[in-house]
Amino acid sequence: MWQVIKSVLAAFFGVQKDSRRRSDFEHGKPIVFIATGVVMALIMVGLVVSVAMMAAG
Amino acid sequence: MAPKLPPKAPLEHGNSITGGASAHEGEHHYRSGPLRWLLTTNHKEIGTLYLIFSLSMFMVGGIMALVVRLELFQPGLQMVQPEFFNQMTTMHGLIMIFGAVMPGFVGLANWMVPLQVGAPDMALPRLNNFSFWLLPIAFVLLLSTLLMPGGGPNFGWTSYAPLSTTYAPPSTTFFIFSLHMAGISSILGAINIIATILNLRAPGMRLMDMTLFVWTWLITAFLLIAVMPVLAGVLTMMLLDINFGTSFFNAAGGGDPVLFQHLFWFFGHPEVYIMILPAFGIVSVIVPTFARKPLFGYSSMVYATASIAVLSFTVWAHHMFSVGLPLVAELFFMYATMLIAVPTGVKVFNWIATLFRGSITFETAMLFALAFIVLFSIGGFSGLMLAIAPADFQYHDTYFVVAHFHYVLVPGAVFSIMAAVYYWLPKWTGHYPDERLGRWHFWLSVIGVNLLFFPMHFAGLAGMPRRIPDYALQFADFNMASSIGGFLFGFSQLLFIWVIVKCVRGGVKAPARSWDGATDLEWTVPSPAPLHTFETPPDMRRIES
Amino acid sequence: MRKVLVLAVMVVAIAGLQRNALASDWNMPVGVTEISRSVYSLHMLIFWICVVIGVVVFGAMFYSLFRYRRSKGAKAAHFHEHTTVEVFWTTIPLLILVAMAVPATATLKEMYDTSESDLDVLITGHQWRWQYEYLGEGVSFFSNLSTPSAQIEGEAPKDEHYLLEVDQPLVLPVDRKVRFLTTSADVIHSWWVPAFAVKKDAMPGFINEAWTRIEEPGIYRGQCAELCGRNHGFMPVVVHAMEQDDFDAWLAERKQQAASAANSVDREWKMDELMAQGEKVYSTICAACHQAEGQGLPPTFPALAGNQALMDDLEKHIGVVLNGVSETAMPAFSGTLNPVDIAAVITYERNAWGNETGDVIQPSDIQARLSSE
Repeated sequence: MWQVIKSVLAAFFGVQKDSRRRSDFEHGKPIVFIATGVVMALIMVGLVVSVAMMAAG
Repeated sequence: MAPKLPPKAPLEHGNSITGGASAHEGEHHYRSGPLRWLLTTNHKEIGTLYLIFSLSMFMVGGIMALVVRLELFQPGLQMVQPEFFNQMTTMHGLIMIFGAVMPGFVGLANWMVPLQVGAPDMALPRLNNFSFWLLPIAFVLLLSTLLMPGGGPNFGWTSYAPLSTTYAPPSTTFFIFSLHMAGISSILGAINIIATILNLRAPGMRLMDMTLFVWTWLITAFLLIAVMPVLAGVLTMMLLDINFGTSFFNAAGGGDPVLFQHLFWFFGHPEVYIMILPAFGIVSVIVPTFARKPLFGYSSMVYATASIAVLSFTVWAHHMFSVGLPLVAELFFMYATMLIAVPTGVKVFNWIATLFRGSITFETAMLFALAFIVLFSIGGFSGLMLAIAPADFQYHDTYFVVAHFHYVLVPGAVFSIMAAVYYWLPKWTGHYPDERLGRWHFWLSVIGVNLLFFPMHFAGLAGMPRRIPDYALQFADFNMASSIGGFLFGFSQLLFIWVIVKCVRGGVKAPARSWDGATDLEWTVPSPAPLHTFETPPDMRRIES
Repeated sequence: MRKVLVLAVMVVAIAGLQRNALASDWNMPVGVTEISRSVYSLHMLIFWICVVIGVVVFGAMFYSLFRYRRSKGAKAAHFHEHTTVEVFWTTIPLLILVAMAVPATATLKEMYDTSESDLDVLITGHQWRWQYEYLGEGVSFFSNLSTPSAQIEGEAPKDEHYLLEVDQPLVLPVDRKVRFLTTSADVIHSWWVPAFAVKKDAMPGFINEAWTRIEEPGIYRGQCAELCGRNHGFMPVVVHAMEQDDFDAWLAERKQQAASAANSVDREWKMDELMAQGEKVYSTICAACHQAEGQGLPPTFPALAGNQALMDDLEKHIGVVLNGVSETAMPAFSGTLNPVDIAAVITYERNAWGNETGDVIQPSDIQARLSSE
């Protein structure tokens, strides 16, 4: 699972190694990546919202 | 990952790569005459239909743009009245987005996705036919609104309510219906592309072996399925407000005009990516070919594109900074936009790293791809500027925004389609396009497009609002330059048509592998590609080193 | 070394060009408020960041294109990945943008702080004019484009302030915090004055807030920034900023005028007086849709000239002008025009362009209807 999260984070950042991609695509299930991606996007939205709330004071 | 591979067919190892060689068996019962094109289920023919449709709509939308540029050539009202001017700007936007750029990309997908994944056809050929023929009907209906009493849609392609509901011309119901049809066509096309990519890849071809063009289209197709229903929903709410007395967007009835904008841009922002991701894919295929070097950071590209699909849903309100959002929302959308823009933007670096230490030649396809990289980046820079919310109060709804999105859409999306046409014409027709004419077309287009759109930055910063038929005197020079550039760019496209017609009729014969740096699967079938290719799937397990 | 020199010269040249040419009509105005200056510096900061990134990126690109041409015998390398480099070039712009977010946030918070204003102005967008109401002062008026149509149609030379001039500008005091409340009577408009860096959409049914504190007296011009229909390009904003004393004097005069207008409601008006006043009102308020000769723009904007159904029904005519027609572009004028203007314009419409009903509508009659509602 940690590998999946790491891959999703790498996707959000926009950089990934070929070797990681190979192992992701050979061993992972797409649905796991998609679900993790959506959850992480929601977490990111939550984080940015809280930063915005803090900034707005 | 365990992609669902098609069952492994027994392979004739001898000619499995050039599957087209054994194609003539199925051809004898093909119709001739116009019915053939009406009833065809062949992905190549439907791809051609899409591309011809896209090119014709590009010309129609272009003529409308020229009407706009003609009126704006000088201050004062000379050519058209404001109500017709508004119809021209609106129709130009609708036709270019839904009629030219999107069908252009779908046409390329129809032609090239099966060839690049080693499939004999699209997964759902009859649906393919239906999703194409919806488009001409939709756009004939849309264009016919111009002849209706009160004229066609005149509220901008964004159709902000209540200008597009309570205050709209009577033809708006037809506009809604035609966009519904175009939306259904897009959804069906997207379903077909996903089904083809996921189910019809050649044996041994894993998702991670696909070209970037196929990858970006896979992700684009998911985006289409996600957002076209949102557009359909918001259009239906307009329809109900106009004809059935509801008040979704009518404040007097308890509705909210801002709701329209939220819904519209929840569709509209992913739509921006729908129009640019396939362009990324095309450039990522063309640049390595003519640099004779593998794409730098393929993995990064795939992952970044995938994450865009998710994250593009979180930035829509940066189109709405001036509608009076609460401060927190304003900050959120500013931060989210900045965060997402960067990983997307730096993909430009990957293309440059691909060029670095390559062995570069400058065929017309490459010229357009290189111009894409530079000019799309300029559009990206103005995009970064627009992301800064306080500054956006000055940029918003001015010609600065017009310059921004035209830079990403014209020398962005449209140039990528032209690059793709020059790149794949040898495969489609069996002849190389005329390089000399191609260069003329390229240079005239590049000069024209910059003369057309660059001065718009200055006009916008100096304070010229968009969508106005007449303007104050200090904007006169910029507009005159833009209009001259517009006509130069517009008329250069006649050269494009000439190049295509000439290439279809004849020219230097192209071999199967038309470009010496090309490595993808489509270059293993003969040029021109026979009607049926890969009836016996190529065995990718053997190609892989 | 020579390349670095050339690059340095180029940057200096561009910077010099910026100071001379870009400073005037080519760039965003610096403006006359603290906020507009902050916005301008944010704009220039992000602009120069983009220029620097652009020079580096395009420099690398054109270097590669020049250096690695096959015609010069370049042989292709085969590397296709370097994660460290990619992480590096993603992180740098990310950090730059995060750094940009800090001043941007500060400016945005300033813009949103509409508290403790010295003067409140309600700005209502109409198709196609602005209405300004000084809240609590009883002063309210329309601001219409004053450029003659002959200039627009090219029959007369264009003025210096072509399309950016109005009959009555918004008058504001300098060095006071002025709060703008924007709303709309019909479609969405957007009130924009570049010199203040204020652009706020005017939404029907909702009120948005913005504010400014003008530092220099002067005349500032802007335009409607949201497509609002046919005459979107013809509803400019003009603000006349003056010292507090001058502003007070101006406001007192406007109050005086409002009071005398109220008195004139009660007297008996003659046909030719009403026709003269009515023509004025018609040309500024009604002609944009119903056209100068009352011919309208059917089907959206019906004709008034020769509109027999309307001419036969005086009650309906008065009702339409007072209350508007729901689901159409016809607004209710009972709240925006005074009884004299309403009476005058109805009289005018019923006796102009071949409509010869002979009806004379008295302001007192309109006044009575308004107070009974």
